[in-house]
Amino acid sequence: MDPTLLTIADAAKLISKKKLSPVELVSACIAKTEKLEPTLNAYVTFTPDLALKAAKVAESEVMAGKVRSPMHGIPVGLKDIYDTAGTRTTGHSRLLKDRIPTEDAFTVAKLRESGAVITGKLGTFEFAIGGPSFDILSPPARNPWDPTRMTGGSSSGSGAAVAAGMVLGATGSDTGGSIRSPSSLCGLAGIKPTYGLLSRRGILPLSQTLDHAGPMCWTVEDAAIMLQGMAGYDALDPAAANVVVKDYTGQIGASVKGKTIGIIRHFYEEDHVAAPSVVAAMETAIDVFKSLGCIVKEITLPPLMDFAATGLIIMSSEAFSIHEKDLQATPELYGEIGRDRIMMGGLLTGGDYVQAMRQRRELCVAVADAMLGVDCLFTASSPFPAPEIDKVPKWLMYQKPSITMPFNVTGQPAMTVCAGYEEGSGLPLAFQLVGNAFDEPTLFQLGAAYEAVTSWRSVRPSLA
Amino acid sequence: MSEAISKEAFQALIDRAGLTLTPPQFDELRIAYGYLQAMRERVRKPRGYDAEPAHIFKPAER
Repeated sequence: MDPTLLTIADAAKLISKKKLSPVELVSACIAKTEKLEPTLNAYVTFTPDLALKAAKVAESEVMAGKVRSPMHGIPVGLKDIYDTAGTRTTGHSRLLKDRIPTEDAFTVAKLRESGAVITGKLGTFEFAIGGPSFDILSPPARNPWDPTRMTGGSSSGSGAAVAAGMVLGATGSDTGGSIRSPSSLCGLAGIKPTYGLLSRRGILPLSQTLDHAGPMCWTVEDAAIMLQGMAGYDALDPAAANVVVKDYTGQIGASVKGKTIGIIRHFYEEDHVAAPSVVAAMETAIDVFKSLGCIVKEITLPPLMDFAATGLIIMSSEAFSIHEKDLQATPELYGEIGRDRIMMGGLLTGGDYVQAMRQRRELCVAVADAMLGVDCLFTASSPFPAPEIDKVPKWLMYQKPSITMPFNVTGQPAMTVCAGYEEGSGLPLAFQLVGNAFDEPTLFQLGAAYEAVTSWRSVRPSLA
Repeated sequence: MSEAISKEAFQALIDRAGLTLTPPQFDELRIAYGYLQAMRERVRKPRGYDAEPAHIFKPAER
């Protein structure tokens, strides 16, 4: 048994039964990282010594019968925008290459409390927007399914590291799809929970009203377990929702018969025409849900470009407000892609921002109306499988509307689930499940039911 | 994509933002600005005085 290819759920069972040692598991992940990192560039800062130290503490606690949670002893990587006390947090930017926080991000502290073992800081598009870039702090992460391909972004190192088994879970952040895009292109389950469920405090911001933290894992169940370890009300995050943290794994395994799924077909068949392999995978996935007893219903939302324009104007404006001084004083410290994308926000007006915010409210109402009578929505996650890493157009998100951005605009929970592999290339394809606010358990129930009757989770990339 | 903004008008936007661009960067961003223009138009729809933005807040919650 290669412990690096265990799910979190399985590893947790073995650890609690004392059949797998956290030290053994973390050591295996470290060895795998040392072997694959020169090819995959998943890390900005790898901290094996700290990880081993934490694994030894976890092991002694487990041996003493003190299992904190299913995350206890599980190796987890952090996107390098999550602050870590004593370990640099750079945003993958030369601008912050020596920045060492004195406190953990709230969600990092929660993960440590849950017993997770932090292995280091994973690569990201610069400041969660600029990439894939070859002119930033270190080279961009590559896709374990084919290292000539990009991972998707911005949580690029997280996608690579989890798919390759360098860690069993990773944190990501999602402002317009930055958890769901790499989860799609790397074949993972990644969830952007409801806005306000997870604290943003201690995470480098890109766009305060669109930023979401979340987990990226191999399976839906693992994402539920890891979300449980990250969730909790943070009174110091102004956006935090003071809600009861639900049991995210409790509904997994329950029948999904009778659940109603609204299919947003026009997003990937008309508004942003997806690759034929993606469209075919969506049809197959819909058939799987039907076979599980789900009721499928066609849903029409406002055009995807309305969501994209709203999200991009808000994101660009808020990002520029964060980076304005540095872009004026030291633009040379940014990589080209991040610098130019963020600069675009400086060309907008207050009127643009407020019009986008007015449209945001209208879109939220439209989606809420469309969700009456359905348990969740279904659509594609990425319109294409992973492209070549050096052939990603800088202005793609301005030219073609993102299929993930709508749910940053509305703040609903949205999860990417692997829908199989493209014939020929073998690259992963994926769909999204989108729920009502704070109804993550239904997404986990449906996503896990799908995974249970498909074979995709038994296939790993060759670089794993 | 909208009609390209003139060099003079684009320079005025860059100056207002306090940015300094290299000549190739100026040319590239001026073209890319067309995409942004299309999005600016996309968020402008007929709205009444009562169309509230999404970030209206309640003072008691802040």
